[in-house]
Amino acid sequence: VCFDFAKDRYGICPMVQSQQKLDRALVRVQDLTPEKAEQQIWVRARIHTSRAKGKQCFLVLRHQQFTVQALLAVGERASKQMVKFAANLTKESIIDVEAVVKKVEQKIESCSQQDVELHVERIFVISQSEARLPLQLEDAVRPEGEGDEEGRATVNQDTRLDNRVIDLRTTTSQAIFRLQSGVCQLFRDTLINKGFVEIQTPKIISAASEGGANVFTVSYFKTSAYLAQSPQLYKQMCICADFDKVFCVGPVFRAEDSNTHRHLTEFVGLDIEMAFNYHYHEVIDSITDTMVQIFKGLRDRFQTEIQTVNKQYPSEPFKFLEPTLRLEYKEAVAMLKAAGVEMGDEEDLSTPNEKLLGRLVKEKYDTDFYVLDKYPLAVRPFYTMPDPNNPKYSNSYDMFMRGEEILSGAQRIHDAQLLTERAMHHSIDLEKIKAYIDSFRYGAPPHAGGGIGLERVTMLYLGLHNVRQTSMFPRDPKRLTP
Amino acid sequence: MPMYKSPNVHGHGMNCGEHALQNGEVDPSLKALEERQDEVLRRLYELKATVDGFAKTVTTPDADLDASTPSPGPAESVFKGTADLDSLLGKDLGALRDIVINANPARPPLSLLVLHALLCQRYQVLSSVHVHSSVSAVPPPLLSCLGPRHIDSYARQRFQLGFTLIWKDVSELQMKFSTQSMCPIEGEANVARFLFRLLGAEPQDPAAATQMDCWIDKAVFQLSEGGSKDRAAVLRSLNAALGRSPWLLGQEFSLADIVCACFVLRAGQTTSAPVNVQRWLKSCQNLGHFDCVYPFLQ
Repeated sequence: VCFDFAKDRYGICPMVQSQQKLDRALVRVQDLTPEKAEQQIWVRARIHTSRAKGKQCFLVLRHQQFTVQALLAVGERASKQMVKFAANLTKESIIDVEAVVKKVEQKIESCSQQDVELHVERIFVISQSEARLPLQLEDAVRPEGEGDEEGRATVNQDTRLDNRVIDLRTTTSQAIFRLQSGVCQLFRDTLINKGFVEIQTPKIISAASEGGANVFTVSYFKTSAYLAQSPQLYKQMCICADFDKVFCVGPVFRAEDSNTHRHLTEFVGLDIEMAFNYHYHEVIDSITDTMVQIFKGLRDRFQTEIQTVNKQYPSEPFKFLEPTLRLEYKEAVAMLKAAGVEMGDEEDLSTPNEKLLGRLVKEKYDTDFYVLDKYPLAVRPFYTMPDPNNPKYSNSYDMFMRGEEILSGAQRIHDAQLLTERAMHHSIDLEKIKAYIDSFRYGAPPHAGGGIGLERVTMLYLGLHNVRQTSMFPRDPKRLTP
Repeated sequence: MPMYKSPNVHGHGMNCGEHALQNGEVDPSLKALEERQDEVLRRLYELKATVDGFAKTVTTPDADLDASTPSPGPAESVFKGTADLDSLLGKDLGALRDIVINANPARPPLSLLVLHALLCQRYQVLSSVHVHSSVSAVPPPLLSCLGPRHIDSYARQRFQLGFTLIWKDVSELQMKFSTQSMCPIEGEANVARFLFRLLGAEPQDPAAATQMDCWIDKAVFQLSEGGSKDRAAVLRSLNAALGRSPWLLGQEFSLADIVCACFVLRAGQTTSAPVNVQRWLKSCQNLGHFDCVYPFLQ
């Protein structure tokens, strides 16, 4: 057995139990750039790949969206045993590496850090991974087309979701959820700047708010309760309580047995409600401006994330107009008819028609986001305010991204009498909504609002095709775990 | 040396009567008839010109109006012709007939702003300005270039026409109308021709229409895209034409004036332009329709 002159420079660390406070700066992979050339630094990252080649070992180290090449060669600093140790490390293990940053002549196309590589001096394992991984991360980031063509695997959605912790480590997932965090932050910041107050509404409620059978029931001591389908009723009660402009971010539960690309049984709702002075368009303007600020913020500050996602899922960049384009329902029907669709003037838009309309709007105005105003009254919920001039229509609107609906909103009826009439017209049990109707009996301001789903907005902004990709731990009729 | 002298039938500037007299072959009464005929024709032409002159004062009130001094109050529309929107744009099926123009904020289409003002006087126009996401920011004057937002702008179907201007990162100005049945129209001049048709003021006379097109092409290819020699040449042509009549096509203000004036103004240095051009620019300004353009000149 050869004497290992490098034995102090590698190994498996004992489990970090906070034994010591090391005064050591760890540089992030993201920050490994030519500016740091010739510096000796420490990096903590995962082993993305490790490959031995004769007396050398090539590693790719990964942290979140970023990867860098590292090289360990037998020589003065590294023994054969050290190189062998590095080559045998399991993928996904977390390691601490001390290395010198070196500029490279030719760009390293396969890594995010293309202009440098690390020449390893010391390498220690902080947390070892089991050898057999339920899925290979390389496969998980492979674009769909490539997998089929070259016989290399991609990973199907169910496998990903069953092993979500590993799937979330991919560069693509990291980028998606960082961007989603941005959506939430921009939503909050924009509304706070507009003078909105953030509220929290109860999720365990006594009556199904939207009517219909799509509610989850929970046992509540000796009786039953429901999980809220939306914060609708409570948003409105806040307006009647003089909060003027409110928003809330929280879970929404829909017991819809739909197995589609865009439905979840639990999702994050971003809801807005606002009192207005004279016309509900004041509210539409506020909502569309909020959406535009979100789009601008994503466009200007999250380009890295957008590019990372596009590597695996190429798509057209998201386009929009400021101010937002607003069309009327009648116009939409005329446009669809001109394109050959047969439909009634007061018929609701089917999903294929919504998609077609989105394409027609895109062709003419080159925008992926627009508002459709003045829906027929018959297809809207009972609390929707009818149009003042034409009883067949209503003061309600939908908003679309890439041809798919993301928001349904309206001016709400704030008169207890009219509300009662409309509820009866929809055959709703008045007893069940007594508390709701009561809120409007003691002076209620005219108000309107709407809500979006965080996962769906993220999915459509990035041009992805399944809402499960943008839900960290998605819930649908067939999935309750992880 | 010819054997005999034959009559010169190709003689220039000599009428048959003289030849006939020289050759002693023409009846003097024929000559008198011809002279009377010429006299009648001459008087007919004079009469026609006078009637034409009267006709113009009825159909285009400012044709003989000396617009070189400012007129009091806002100008009425100079174009009083009618256009059938249904045949030009397709029947109104309940969707706003919305004309979408994508323009680069670095090169605002001044002639289209003038045409927009003229369209607003003729029709109920819903005008909107948007900034496309391909552009990060646009100076405020470009946002208000179509004037204040119409109070009724939330009721889209009450309008006969939509005029939607989108500031976008495009290399060439582009107009879209009916994407199902029309290709986009490209270039400021071509879009100007389309919009002018909506005013029902296209010259019916093919000679005038051709002349109008010539002036527009001059503006595009020489004034805008040409070098300083080309520009100087165009200014000289303009000056010459405007020495003969108040407007480029003669007595009538037309699209040729709109486009050429806008391109001349955009090229700048109007104070050093030839004298007739300067007078003509002042007349354009006095008509009032060019007010929207001045905020965009350096």
